[in-house]
Amino acid sequence: MLKTIGLALALSTVLSAASVSASPSEIVLYTWEGMFPQEVLDGFTAETGIKVIYSNFDLNETMLEKLAMAKGGDYDVVIADDYILEQVVAEGLASPVDTDVVTNFGNINPLYQGQFYDPENLYTVPYGAGIPLIVYDPDLVDIDIKGYNDLWDPSLLDSVALTANYRVIAGITNLALGKSMNEEDISSIEETGEKLIALAPNVRLIQDDNTQNALLNGEASVAFLYTSQVTTALQENPELKVVYPEEGLGFGIMGMFVPSMAPNKDGAFAFVNYILRPEISAQCFNYIGYYNTNKAADSLVDENLVVPDSDIHGEIIRNVSLEAEEAYSRIWTAFKDACD
Amino acid sequence: MKQYKHLLKPYIIWAAVLIVIPLILIALYAFTEEGNEVLTLSFTFDNFRKFAEATYVNVILKSFRLGLVTTVICLAAGYPLAFIISRSPERVQGLLILLVTIPEWINMLLRTYAWMNLLSDNGIINQLLGLLGIDPVTMMYTDFSVILGLVCNFMPFMVIPIYTSLSKMDHSLIEAAYDLGANRFQTFWKVIWKLSMPGVVNGIMMVFLLSISTFVIPKLLGGGQYMLIGNLIESQFISVGDWNFGAAISLILAVIILIFMHFMKKMDSQDD
Repeated sequence: MLKTIGLALALSTVLSAASVSASPSEIVLYTWEGMFPQEVLDGFTAETGIKVIYSNFDLNETMLEKLAMAKGGDYDVVIADDYILEQVVAEGLASPVDTDVVTNFGNINPLYQGQFYDPENLYTVPYGAGIPLIVYDPDLVDIDIKGYNDLWDPSLLDSVALTANYRVIAGITNLALGKSMNEEDISSIEETGEKLIALAPNVRLIQDDNTQNALLNGEASVAFLYTSQVTTALQENPELKVVYPEEGLGFGIMGMFVPSMAPNKDGAFAFVNYILRPEISAQCFNYIGYYNTNKAADSLVDENLVVPDSDIHGEIIRNVSLEAEEAYSRIWTAFKDACD
Repeated sequence: MKQYKHLLKPYIIWAAVLIVIPLILIALYAFTEEGNEVLTLSFTFDNFRKFAEATYVNVILKSFRLGLVTTVICLAAGYPLAFIISRSPERVQGLLILLVTIPEWINMLLRTYAWMNLLSDNGIINQLLGLLGIDPVTMMYTDFSVILGLVCNFMPFMVIPIYTSLSKMDHSLIEAAYDLGANRFQTFWKVIWKLSMPGVVNGIMMVFLLSISTFVIPKLLGGGQYMLIGNLIESQFISVGDWNFGAAISLILAVIILIFMHFMKKMDSQDD
């Protein structure tokens, strides 16, 4: 998500001014394509008589720009990524959640609440999380992997596959050292860099696309994978073990909110409440394949989409100061240099 | 001839818009600080100072080492190939040159992925070795796989210019060398090699420049463990978002290439 920001900046100036007007008997849902199974949307219409108009955006930035132009109007329910939600809330474009209507608000897993974009949980409702995790092949690994620190184990020489986002990999190294993923102190980042270089002998592969293949074809015995890759890997080889690292999770959260001037707020909150029903949430998460953020739906969702222990600490990668960003980029270059 | 001059105008516009202006922009980015508005430019050398750090100097040295090895292998393998092609009957020559260029018709990514299938731990080569009872050899994500990928991709850029200068050569000069008593080695070294120098210089320049600035091949065949100058520029623009530093590295690379070309041209003209 973070890496799309640069591209998005270049593209976000392209806008169309198509305005969608909603009558009281319909709501306009604004999110990426393919975020809901059709039967869930049809179910809502059948129950309430409110039609759901599904409108798409490709980039969070496009959404923000359109919403800002409409001054918080035009759309009734929006789903977007964590970092953009922070801007939405800061610009006053979201309505406080009407807990009188959203009675299922308590179903939300506290693990995904109180995040930086909405510390008081006033405006947003989490709708799915992406969590990069460690996956390993128990036939090829002699140790019991519990967390990030195990990746440094000498027995894993030349057998670890990593995704290639420098902030994520530096972030888990921070977690391994007991620090925040968003550490900003330069000397502390340099210490992280030294720890990272010590990982180099174990690294077999660093790549963002199809990282799971290295694990499936036996080139690597341990891999740190994005959510969609974990799902693919488990489909191909159910024997693989997934580790929820004990040092904490780094995740990205998608959240729903109702814009400040939504034409049909009542309908919008009714929709949010409908989605928070356990059986409806389960249908949604099984369909989109992201981690279940609805605690009440845990038993109904594919078990691979549930973080088993919600006491575990979770953190979202955020933009850091320019100096810190440079330091992360520098330790990443040094790490790669040490790898081959 | 004069009236045709007007035909140049579209090209001048094209060059200005697509070459000169982007170059100026890169230079502007390289010498300014992050987060500039057009009206409040502040100039700095920091982007270049940053590059002097050991980490980044290592990146450039590694790129050069890899580029050099690739060029030497391409020359050592490409020259004999070009020589053989230029000595074959005229009708066969076209066909052989076609064979050299055919791989270039296939998308480079596809060719690189093909190598990955061949070289991987469970790949075709290792399976064949397994049939012969030989233990699997780790070939992927090593210097070997990266250099192999570079050599295969850039070989035609060495062969074609050398072939061109060899086939354009005046054969009477070679016959004259024999007539004057030179043996085969002397004829080759003193006549053929010297006359093929323009092709060799062109080939070296193309292969070297392509291989020090490439980033896809080392990324795929090196398993993302290679941080070469091309990868560094890519990561500054795409993932770090530090366009100023990225532009500064691009500029440094451009200057190095200019210096290199200058010396190669000099070498070329000294030989005449």
